[in-house]
Amino acid sequence: MANHSQLNFQDAASPIMEELMGFHDHALMVALAICSLVLYLLTLMLTEKLSSSTINAQEIELVWTILPAMVLVMLALPSLRILYMMDEINEPDLTLKAIGHQWYWTYEYTDFKDFTFDSYMTPTADLPLGHFRLLEVDHRVIVPMSSTVRVIVTADDVLHSWAVPSLGVKTDAIPGRLNQTSFLASRPGVFYGQCSEICGANHSFMPIVVESTPLANFENWSSLMSS
Amino acid sequence: MSAALLPKPQMRGLLARRMKFHLLGAFVVSVGCAALYKFGVAEPRKRAYADFYRNYDPMKDFEAMKAAGVLESAPAK
Repeated sequence: MANHSQLNFQDAASPIMEELMGFHDHALMVALAICSLVLYLLTLMLTEKLSSSTINAQEIELVWTILPAMVLVMLALPSLRILYMMDEINEPDLTLKAIGHQWYWTYEYTDFKDFTFDSYMTPTADLPLGHFRLLEVDHRVIVPMSSTVRVIVTADDVLHSWAVPSLGVKTDAIPGRLNQTSFLASRPGVFYGQCSEICGANHSFMPIVVESTPLANFENWSSLMSS
Repeated sequence: MSAALLPKPQMRGLLARRMKFHLLGAFVVSVGCAALYKFGVAEPRKRAYADFYRNYDPMKDFEAMKAAGVLESAPAK
């Protein structure tokens, strides 16, 4: 989860999120280069005695057309690479459904053992010591680590969005529509997210918690849940 | 009397010379900022992730989390 004054991304817990962080660094570097160029030229213009009878600017106009086009290509190529990487057919090991309601999530695991559960935010009054306010839930989404997991997201009433920043996942939950996303948790751990589409009074109070564990532990848990 | 003549100063192309100099300077500053960010932030971040996962033992980490009681699917005994 994010710390109180955190501005940057949360630590990546999936390969796609690592790629996205790298691309963000690249895009920010390009933006920094452009901004420093503009700032330098602006300072120059503001400290210069005005003169000039320039009437022929053919060369510089060529430069400031070609150069931005090259910059855009430098941004587009890595972006498209990651976009296609996210859409690869990856034969998930597990499929689960996330259904958004006002104001909780329902998860259905129907692949092997068939079970469903609701996931409500833990009220602050009932929060155990050391747990995170407005982020904890009564039943977490347990997934096996290092396995591709497909999540089919939909909603029961209004628009919601299932998002977990450290896994690089954000998918809109639209009533009457099934949206698909997939992720791979690179390591065991607990990853927090929050509903990301305004959905009413308690939009900020329907968090998502994904817990990734080794496969054997996941199997034990799913046997317990289905019994 | 003949005084030593000063060399004739440059009379034309002053703006073009200044522009050429400063455009070059602007590009150097801009590429310098980009290089600073790349080698100060981006590369260390990539290295940090590579170092983390190089000798990472997920089972050991899982056991530590289990012992700490932070997992719902594996409560601490």
